[in-house]
Amino acid sequence: MSEHNVDLKPTPGDRFTTFLKRKDIRETLAWAAFYTAGFVVLGGVFYTKWMPTSLSTDMKSIERLMVIFTWISAPVCGLVLSIATYTFRHGTRGDVPPEDGPPIRTNFLGVASFGAMAGILTLTAVVYGLIEMNSASEAAAKDAPSALIVEVTGSQWVWSFNYPAQGVSSNELMLPKGQPVIFKIHSVDVNHSFWPVQLGIKADANHFQTTSVTTTPNKLGRLDVKCAELCGLYHAYMETEGAVVEPADFNNWVTQNGGHSA
Amino acid sequence: MSSDTKFHVHHDAPEVVGRRERLGVRILIVADASFVFAMVFSYFYLRNLNTNGGWIPKDGHTFSVASGWVVVLPLIVGAILHKIGQRNLKTIGTISIITLVVYLYGLYYQIHQIMNMPFIVKDTGGFEGAYASSWVLIAGANAFHYIIASFLALGLVIRARRANVDPTLEKWRMRTAASWFTWIAISGVICAITTGIM
Amino acid sequence: MTTLSSHVSSRPIPNPKNSLITKLNAGTGLIVGVVFAVATYNLLKGENEDPGIAYNIHNRALLAAMFMWSIGFLVGIGAFIGPWRWLIGKDLTAEEQLYLAGDGQGIKRYFKYCTDHKVVGIQYLWGVITLLGVGGAMAMMIRTNLAAPGGHFITASVYNSLVGLHGITMIIAMIIVATGPFGNYIMPIMIGAADMAFPRLNALSWWVLFTAIPVLCSAWFLGGIPTGWTAYAPLSIQAGPGMNAFIATIIIFAVSTAVAGSNITATVIAMRAKGMTWNRVPIFVIGATISVALAVPAFPTFMVSMIMTALDRTYMTGFFDANIGGSGWLYAHLFWIMGHPEVYVILIPGVAVLMEIVPVFVRMPLFSYIGAVVGFAGIAGLSILVWAHHMYMSGWMPMLNGPFMVTTEMISIPTGLIFLVMLGTLWHGKPWLKLPMLGVYAFLWNMLVGGITGIYLSDVPADNYLHGSMYVTAHFHYTLMGAALTGAVAGLAYWFPKMTGRMLNERAGYVSFWLIQIGFQVLYLGMFTAGAEGQPRRVVNYASQFATANRISTVGAYLVGTGFVVLLWAVVHSWRHGKIAPMNPWGAKSLEWTVPYPVPLVNFDTPPVVTSDPYGYGKAVK
Repeated sequence: MSEHNVDLKPTPGDRFTTFLKRKDIRETLAWAAFYTAGFVVLGGVFYTKWMPTSLSTDMKSIERLMVIFTWISAPVCGLVLSIATYTFRHGTRGDVPPEDGPPIRTNFLGVASFGAMAGILTLTAVVYGLIEMNSASEAAAKDAPSALIVEVTGSQWVWSFNYPAQGVSSNELMLPKGQPVIFKIHSVDVNHSFWPVQLGIKADANHFQTTSVTTTPNKLGRLDVKCAELCGLYHAYMETEGAVVEPADFNNWVTQNGGHSA
Repeated sequence: MSSDTKFHVHHDAPEVVGRRERLGVRILIVADASFVFAMVFSYFYLRNLNTNGGWIPKDGHTFSVASGWVVVLPLIVGAILHKIGQRNLKTIGTISIITLVVYLYGLYYQIHQIMNMPFIVKDTGGFEGAYASSWVLIAGANAFHYIIASFLALGLVIRARRANVDPTLEKWRMRTAASWFTWIAISGVICAITTGIM
Repeated sequence: MTTLSSHVSSRPIPNPKNSLITKLNAGTGLIVGVVFAVATYNLLKGENEDPGIAYNIHNRALLAAMFMWSIGFLVGIGAFIGPWRWLIGKDLTAEEQLYLAGDGQGIKRYFKYCTDHKVVGIQYLWGVITLLGVGGAMAMMIRTNLAAPGGHFITASVYNSLVGLHGITMIIAMIIVATGPFGNYIMPIMIGAADMAFPRLNALSWWVLFTAIPVLCSAWFLGGIPTGWTAYAPLSIQAGPGMNAFIATIIIFAVSTAVAGSNITATVIAMRAKGMTWNRVPIFVIGATISVALAVPAFPTFMVSMIMTALDRTYMTGFFDANIGGSGWLYAHLFWIMGHPEVYVILIPGVAVLMEIVPVFVRMPLFSYIGAVVGFAGIAGLSILVWAHHMYMSGWMPMLNGPFMVTTEMISIPTGLIFLVMLGTLWHGKPWLKLPMLGVYAFLWNMLVGGITGIYLSDVPADNYLHGSMYVTAHFHYTLMGAALTGAVAGLAYWFPKMTGRMLNERAGYVSFWLIQIGFQVLYLGMFTAGAEGQPRRVVNYASQFATANRISTVGAYLVGTGFVVLLWAVVHSWRHGKIAPMNPWGAKSLEWTVPYPVPLVNFDTPPVVTSDPYGYGKAVK
């Protein structure tokens, strides 16, 4: 790139216009726009298409977060990939090495603006994550008094659920729609990880320690419960099903299983 | 004798070689320090969790605080003796022997403690609780420190009697050994304080 | 006594008389090692009516046999001759040291306790190739099993073992993939040193590592490991005898790492050529040093966790047994305090290789050298403060998830600097698109994907969904394989002429490059999708809804596998029949290109004096 002349001292506005008129800049910007747009579309389509139906606000906000993070990072992808594509297209092939380029060792403006951009994007991600975390735990605290309590026990290689207030034990996870639920999770042997997929929550089951996690199912639908921590031979088969049902149906299910509806 | 060869370390002056060796040992000490840190971290982590009341179970046994310090004392004495020996190289032969004896005694005492642990469950041969487990790990590491120190001290004793050892390089080797002796004394004190908090 | 001229080739092979060292090699090591192991096992194996105690005794005998194999091998190959001679005050003579350096001993020196850093580099290279081959074959079996739901290709028990052994084999291979071959062969020449700081420790680090390989393989014959490479307690406590092989491997490997780390760090600090100030050190050397300096304090915590596991399994201590006061969380902490720095121990040297390559092929100085150093140092520094992001869901202390999320996401800033350095160097350049340079482009894409998916995972709410899913597997393969291994392969293509005297076959190199990189995208795009759909990792079988994504993954895996076979063929073929390489085929300016092949024993006939950094490309400065 020998044609640009760095010795001129025009005004900043002029310099910016000349900068934009440069052929290499134009091509790079075009690639950047292409890749950024590509990642915006990808982010919008990929996660909404492939992630399972959401049955709780937690799951919904995770899906939203994945999309928004992809959008935030789209310009970064655009920058990196546009420069890579431009230089790759204009690279030298064959057995003769190219001529030396300009001896640029650093560029204060470039480093500073890049650093600032990285800092701002990181800060955005951190703040967004902290706000989501905070709102989730606030909601959990608010919902605690009215919550349904489910004791979850992991053992090799079965999940079992106990509803102490209802006096019901089961191997399938039934939840009433609209009522907050607190899972109290523990294991009787090795570590497991309780993962009701469509609810967007997860917590490890530890031996002699009870962990708890809260959510509110807000839609009717089928639930898959899986184990997300390798727990030995039949880890892959440590899964069960369940459903989010109308409160009336939930009460029916409780009475059918010998419990008393609260 | 070998300064005329063009072969790697030998074309460097003894000071250069000595300084380099000490650097290498100090980096290894960083690794050992990380090991000690991990043990101390585990000790306090388990103590703090006290899962199921199993840190020191009811009717559990412990070592006295004093016994932890007794086993560390030879480490401190050895490090100080070695420092004194370095000051006056004429006495180094004698002082190295005393250092060696001190370390061997410490090693004996540490192994004796491990062989006579009070907190082994009679029927199964298992350990009583988390304190007992953490204690034996720290004691084992201490014994390992003693073994390396005894090896180094023994070498210094024998080498002090050999004529064909380069005296300048030997002086550096003693300083290198001193790095290890000092570190294990510090680590011993850390471990004694740790196991003193039950 | 021995006066050596600089005419290396005409020098007679030294033959120290009455010295044991001339008679020892890997063969004697093997014999002594096996004898030690068998004797130890037979001595310690005992019987007990109580099955619990019998289990403990069996574990003791196996573990002791494995350690005694390692020690016996080292005795047999002569690793302890140096310390022994020091102890009795009869230091090795110059002649004996020269013999140990193996000059003029031909191919035999590769099977001896050879102190020449160039020999050790080649030994490491073949060690890495072997480990990657074994680990890769396991990956192919895993993917074959997952090609369709049902999981009938292998049993659950074999599958779990495969997952764990593939993991640990690859982790070990990747830790040494750049610092082993290039850190030992090239790096001392790059800094103008005659050898490593401690040549005997150099040989020790390799041969200690070597003894770990049969131990790791023995896990297969002892029933495998059910735990994955993370070996979480208490699963590891209830595991069968194969677990002992895992424990012994890690402890032996940690010793090797500490020795190698101390050696490489001391070499770079103390052995640089005259005039090579810190701002003139090649960036690969900086990266490799930061990486090993990070490994030195990181690995002992893993060693402690493994010693605890071993004690729990052999002497019934209670570190991880909640019945007597232990906790699985303790294991997770110790493991990840090592485990997160460890991924950067893998990543940094691979990236540093690529940074070394970019200026050479773009013919421009490295953009913002200081940015690169700060980037590496920043990553290394932050990496020791992020370990608990692997434990968001474990419940150990939910209130600390926020702080760990902040430290984790801050790593994007130094990582951004790494990108800046690469892009800044590329910009304004017309890169010479040779095989090593292609690696840079593959890195930019792969690390971008790996980095961004890392941000999702570091975010606590998103991790609620993604933790423990295939998404995680895809993410870390993008960083470790897509970035670090790509860097190491590029480094092999770049330094192959210096290490073998021949050029790597270009056509085969391009074919393998595109097969690997395209296959890689297919493979992990499928895996990201399966993860987003909700497939847990480490499962032998999966629900039919994940079938398409997994089938795509498997196709990609076969492409990658084929690519690596082609690459292996290229390496073996070029090693013997490749085009003879000129001294400096790429026109690079760092010191390793100023020495001929074969590199003389002391590397430089006259010690070099350095007057600038090796990135002085560019048209004359006005």
